[in-house]
Amino acid sequence: MTGPSSPRPLVVCTEVTRRYGSDGGPFTADGRTVTALDSVSLDVAGGEVVGVAGPSGSGKSTLLHLLAGLDTPTRGEIEVCGTTVGALSRRRRTAFRRENVGMVFQRFHLLPALTARENVALPLVQAGVARSDRRSRASELLAAVGLDDRGSHYPSALSGGEQQRVAIARALAADPAVVIADEPTGELDRETGERVLDLLTDVSDGRAIVVASHDEYTLGRTDRVVRLRDGARQ
Amino acid sequence: MTRIAVRQLRSDRMRTVFAVVGVALAVLSVTLLAGVGAGVVSTGNEMFDESGRDLWVSGGPIDIAPGSVGGFRNPIPNAHPLAEEIAAHEDVETAVPMAFQVVYVSTDGEGFETTVGSGVPGAGGSSVSIREGEGLTGPNTHYADGTYEGEMTRQAIVSPETAEEFDLSVGDTVHVGGTIANARRNEFEVVGISPTFENFLGTGTVTIRLSELQTLTGNAYDDRATLITIQTAPGANPEAVRDELAAEHPEYTFRTNQEQLVSLLERQAVVLAAGVSLVGLGVIAGGVLSLNVLLSMIYIQRRSLSILRAVGATRRSVVGIALVESLAIAAAGYLLAIAVTPLLAGSLNRIAFAVTGFEGLVRVPTYAYLAGAGVACGFALLGGTLGAWRVGRVASVSALER
Repeated sequence: MTGPSSPRPLVVCTEVTRRYGSDGGPFTADGRTVTALDSVSLDVAGGEVVGVAGPSGSGKSTLLHLLAGLDTPTRGEIEVCGTTVGALSRRRRTAFRRENVGMVFQRFHLLPALTARENVALPLVQAGVARSDRRSRASELLAAVGLDDRGSHYPSALSGGEQQRVAIARALAADPAVVIADEPTGELDRETGERVLDLLTDVSDGRAIVVASHDEYTLGRTDRVVRLRDGARQ
Repeated sequence: MTRIAVRQLRSDRMRTVFAVVGVALAVLSVTLLAGVGAGVVSTGNEMFDESGRDLWVSGGPIDIAPGSVGGFRNPIPNAHPLAEEIAAHEDVETAVPMAFQVVYVSTDGEGFETTVGSGVPGAGGSSVSIREGEGLTGPNTHYADGTYEGEMTRQAIVSPETAEEFDLSVGDTVHVGGTIANARRNEFEVVGISPTFENFLGTGTVTIRLSELQTLTGNAYDDRATLITIQTAPGANPEAVRDELAAEHPEYTFRTNQEQLVSLLERQAVVLAAGVSLVGLGVIAGGVLSLNVLLSMIYIQRRSLSILRAVGATRRSVVGIALVESLAIAAAGYLLAIAVTPLLAGSLNRIAFAVTGFEGLVRVPTYAYLAGAGVACGFALLGGTLGAWRVGRVASVSALER
């Protein structure tokens, strides 16, 4: 696991292109090649919160998925915590993501069958952490996001803001160096969204945090903003 | 991961219950259909074993003779002398000619019903098992060494179904005849109640002496019988006796109990083919049903499984969760099915008895339960693996974006 206080950029994207269609990527419905991301370069240092802005279809989600190792670039290179993600096998990418990248989604994506505490502990299950350690780590993180009394509640019993805080706690469970948040306030009202953003910036100490949003208020809370249009930087 | 799988199943109990019921239905289709097939064969075997006979002699197919008295043209002529000739074999204890004909029956000589009349020689004691009364007693005066000129004994044994249908008990009188006219003229005394032929034929019967049945149905002139049953001497090998008798009487077919059952079943080739097809379809339909249920169940969970992938679960872990869920549902469905199978088999037996008159037509053998377990487990493994593989392809990004 890479520590959160690394001096060099934790995320380095160099001329990253992602195409869907004829050149190895999944085919589009009409068989045409679509360039979702076109020669995008980006560095994010530890302790920095970077916003990724752009309208729908601009390539925000594609970029985030590439950074998280959920997808691989057609061209260019992505280095996260000193590792070239695209060079890893699928299995190693999964392990790499588990250890180095935390993800926060717009729709929270908590497992409805598990309690808040169990959801937070989920990444630690795969990491092979002992059950008692998982439990104490999850409780510690829930306390950090202000939900220490909601650990045994199921997601259906939590408000949207509370669910997103659980999701943030889950993203931090494995103490990742990089946190990627895709529209983290998209489903929340302004007040709740603001609390979630406070939380994200609070945990940024030493971590590289990338937040994709089309909401200017959310983007205004980041250190700098990278704007995308039609897959390219503006 | 097992814990997550169990929690997933518990989180949507209704869906889990439906999946379990779906698998149970698939297993039931296997156990019950196999039970019908096994029951028919077992019942047939038991009936032949209980008959106390070792060999069966027939002379070819029994032809339907529309318009004739009795409705059938029995294939063995000169049955009495032939039976005596066979009985003379050193390894044969008894040889009994029997005939079956349709007869008219009435208690008052007015309202007639048709039923199966069976004819047995002598006192009939070794041919039929008597439940009530004494059965046929005294000498067979009517046959009179083949002249058919003696006085009829006018004794009849009715089956339980016939007794119930006509409200008959031992000592009552009943009209029996090949035609309504001669049934009006011929009254018989009920001297016993026996289930023997009813068990064989699955319908009510009236049993009288063979020569009297032949006379009533117009078969006395050439002494025709449907078949001759042979009881071999103690210690004799029925198959060896069969071979020797077959060599002596090449115009007739001699069969052991097993061969006779196979012969009967072969004549029902279409029914058998339909039965085998039904069992095959049951297995396939049951398997496809459980596979579909399990695949659907896994696919419905693609979002949850995608979340697991997104937070770092390996594809193997996701497949493991899907397999645990599938196997748990398959096991629960199987247990439900084997718990319900005896109850349903009992109900089917009651229905089958009401319709056909045969008992024990549905008997679920051990291999049917094993086949059911195979269907449940096999398709659970297939469903879980295929489902998880399919989910694995769409897991993470695309499923989470929807």
